[in-house]
Amino acid sequence: MAVRRGGEAADLADAGVEALATFAQLLAGGLLTGLVFALVAVGLTLIYGVMDVVNFAHGEFLMLAMYATLGLALLGIGPLVGLPLVALALLLFGIVVYRVFVRRLLAGPPEATVFGTFGLLVLMQGLAQALLTSDYQSAPNPPLQGTLRLGPVALSQATLAEGFGALVLTAALFAFVEYTETGRAMRAVAEDRIAATLMGIDVQRVNGLAFGIGSACVGAAGALLMLSYPVYPTAGVPFALTAFVVVALGGFGSIQGALLGAVLVGLLEVFGGFYLSPELKMVPVYLAYLVVVLLRPQGLLGRR
Amino acid sequence: MTTAKPHLLALGAIVALGLLAALGVRSAVVLDLVFTLLLYAVLGQSWNWISGYAGNISFGHAIFFGCGAYASALCVTHGLSPWLAIPAGALAAAALALVTGFPTLGLRGHYFSIATIAVAALVEAFTRTAPWLGRANGFELPIASGWAALQFPQKGPYVVLALVLFAAAQLATIAMERSRLGYYLRALRANHAAAASVGIDERRVKLVAFAWSAVMAAAAGVLYAQYTLFIDPPSTIALGISIDIALIGVVGGIGTLWGPAAGALVYVVLAKAVALRLGGAGKGYDLVIYGAIICLIAALRPYGIVGTIVDALRRRRGAAIAVTASGAATAVLFAALPAGTARAAGAPIEAALAARASWKLTLAPGCALVPGARSGDFTVECAQR
Amino acid sequence: MSAEPLLAVRGLTKRFGSLRALDGVDFDVAEGSLTGLIGPNGAGKSTAFACIAGAEKPTAGSVRFGGREIAGTPYHRVAELGIARTYQIVQTFADMTVLEATTTGALLRRPRLRDAVAHAEDVLAFVGLADKRYRLGRALTIADKKRLEVARALATEPTLLLLDEVMAGLTPAECAGAVELLRRILASGVTVLMVEHVMEVLMPIAQHVVVIAAGKTIFSGTATDAVRDARVVEAYLGSPLEHGEIAGHAE
Repeated sequence: MAVRRGGEAADLADAGVEALATFAQLLAGGLLTGLVFALVAVGLTLIYGVMDVVNFAHGEFLMLAMYATLGLALLGIGPLVGLPLVALALLLFGIVVYRVFVRRLLAGPPEATVFGTFGLLVLMQGLAQALLTSDYQSAPNPPLQGTLRLGPVALSQATLAEGFGALVLTAALFAFVEYTETGRAMRAVAEDRIAATLMGIDVQRVNGLAFGIGSACVGAAGALLMLSYPVYPTAGVPFALTAFVVVALGGFGSIQGALLGAVLVGLLEVFGGFYLSPELKMVPVYLAYLVVVLLRPQGLLGRR
Repeated sequence: MTTAKPHLLALGAIVALGLLAALGVRSAVVLDLVFTLLLYAVLGQSWNWISGYAGNISFGHAIFFGCGAYASALCVTHGLSPWLAIPAGALAAAALALVTGFPTLGLRGHYFSIATIAVAALVEAFTRTAPWLGRANGFELPIASGWAALQFPQKGPYVVLALVLFAAAQLATIAMERSRLGYYLRALRANHAAAASVGIDERRVKLVAFAWSAVMAAAAGVLYAQYTLFIDPPSTIALGISIDIALIGVVGGIGTLWGPAAGALVYVVLAKAVALRLGGAGKGYDLVIYGAIICLIAALRPYGIVGTIVDALRRRRGAAIAVTASGAATAVLFAALPAGTARAAGAPIEAALAARASWKLTLAPGCALVPGARSGDFTVECAQR
Repeated sequence: MSAEPLLAVRGLTKRFGSLRALDGVDFDVAEGSLTGLIGPNGAGKSTAFACIAGAEKPTAGSVRFGGREIAGTPYHRVAELGIARTYQIVQTFADMTVLEATTTGALLRRPRLRDAVAHAEDVLAFVGLADKRYRLGRALTIADKKRLEVARALATEPTLLLLDEVMAGLTPAECAGAVELLRRILASGVTVLMVEHVMEVLMPIAQHVVVIAAGKTIFSGTATDAVRDARVVEAYLGSPLEHGEIAGHAE
């Protein structure tokens, strides 16, 4: 029998340290998960901000990005190297989808964008189910499989890379929107479409670009996620649902809001999963959404 | 407002046709098909009230269906009459509708749509973990027989009940279109500012529509539970079911009286056709077709099949023509479907129906299995109360 | 006619950020009268109108209607109180027929559809749109659209009718028709407050005129007195004038 030193006080101290370690682990996990949600959500909020469209097919774009990353990985191009390629592919895809489809939705009644993007969701999901196997597939030989220890906290390198990549890309997007001329044009269109037209801004071009860039963000997110997640036809659904809640929490149209909302959601999910149960991890997230929409519908940092 | 007469006549024709089928047709597969069709039409119409007439698209409608189904299961397993499940399920559904709608129905459309997703996810999570709701396993309802128990060994009476429900849903919609609620919903969709200026309270009006919509879906849920005798989260409240309901509503025609029926018809026929041609490998192709249809509708004409027909023929009493055309198409399609064909594996409701064939039997107290004339045939006989 | 005005606006102030659109507007509208609310562009007429109609919430001040304070009432409740309005840019129910649109207004006080339709028919006869009752909203001329808006507003059986630049875009013949309708509305006992730019039409019929400039009331009185008032002229023309120059002919 080991001799314990000090009695009760030492027991409490041990328990306290352990609880702190668990807390720190959850905190880190939640933050990193949140950052990845941010990258998924930021594309959604940009599209909404510029053209008032909630892209309900957003999850399918993510699934597409993940499969594209898988395809590249099977050709020997790893997820990190493939990231710019996938982002570019999604950029072009987004622009095409806008030109061919979303542009027409904007001309109709407000519900047209809701069930139009819904139809796109169904179409893409159907194609995925019809053409691809429903097996879970992971990128072969993904990089960064080790674990990093920061004191009591253990983080997988992949998760760190995801979080870090998400942070960098979100910051890059923010800088683009704030400081470049195209970004300013987007903000102008977001604020007042008619005034922007009067100032000579080609709204259709800006819309298309916004849709494309929003899709590119999702593309980057998909590539990053392939570092540690498998892909299957309905893989996009849980991320999409989370993204909607993140955008609503943070405020439709606000990039900083998406970051804030995503981190909050990430923390809620991780803590919820631990203290409630893995099955119920989304419950605090959805409850939070309902509370926010009741008290402050425009979200924490939103203006509309 | 156009006169209701042609719609009432069409409804009467459909009910008459359905009754003939219920009494005359022997094939269980065909009756199954008719039952499924009618149930989907009712669900589609319920969705239509909030997403079509009110214009707020609901992506979580299955939870109201689930309210009815689970109410039925709970009543029966606690020894209560399943008829009680109708008001009980309706109340639960209406309450959920009010909770979802109250904060969101005065705001921009997407807030509501996302809220329906959030509430549906919460309800599903709750159902999957609450022991008194059967968790992930759900409920098997004990077999009984007779109108008191709302269960029948043959499918005929179920089809009759489904017809009653369908007729009720259509009549309610016809009445709604010609009521203050209907006018106010139309005005809100037509011009928001003008509607407010004549005193229309958007949130209140839409809450009423949403609550009734939920009640309708719950009634369908009760009937479904009594038909399949097996309910669990994937077959009643999963996101997939909500998506199916939305599909039917959009494809058929948002905001039109006969849209949901047309959408249900397309959905069921397409599911069968895909299953026939491609069997299990057909998974996804039906979704591709629906998705394409919805995208086309959304981009070109947001009013669906029925809406487009009605719109084009508006001045020539289009409703009557559209309805007759749909009725004729229905008859032709039914005649073209060979009896005894393979079941569709895709649709969740049909999957549950397939599962029914392999359940183990639980008999309600006082009931017994009585072997029939042919080997393998059984009927259930219950002692009179 | 009671001494208490039907509508009493006191100290009405509305700020949009740092912009002061209204800076303490005061005026009364007597029951049964036709009052014109005029002023140069940007004076704040539309903002005052919006505050009374419930579309905007005033930053400060009071709007008393029939003795009750109504400032800040939710927009959709205002019709119930007895105030109906039309819009400067006409807001039609494009896919509803004339009768259906008017019925929508009538449903406020008559929940049963049959009663509402009957009342709507009466209102349409009153405004002169009865023969067009089955036409779709989008198939009407501008003048008829405006007439329909008035019909829709009247169907709510208001005590006070607010008209926002109803004459804009009408030909002289159409204006004459509108004036004739206004007279009949007044005769039926409805009080009218109209914001208007087309002076030739307003001045002859308005019993009372309120002039707003730079967010303040600068005149309240009869139309004839308004045109002679130095402050009014200055507000419109921007510089003080000799008394004799007002009507365009030298004294």
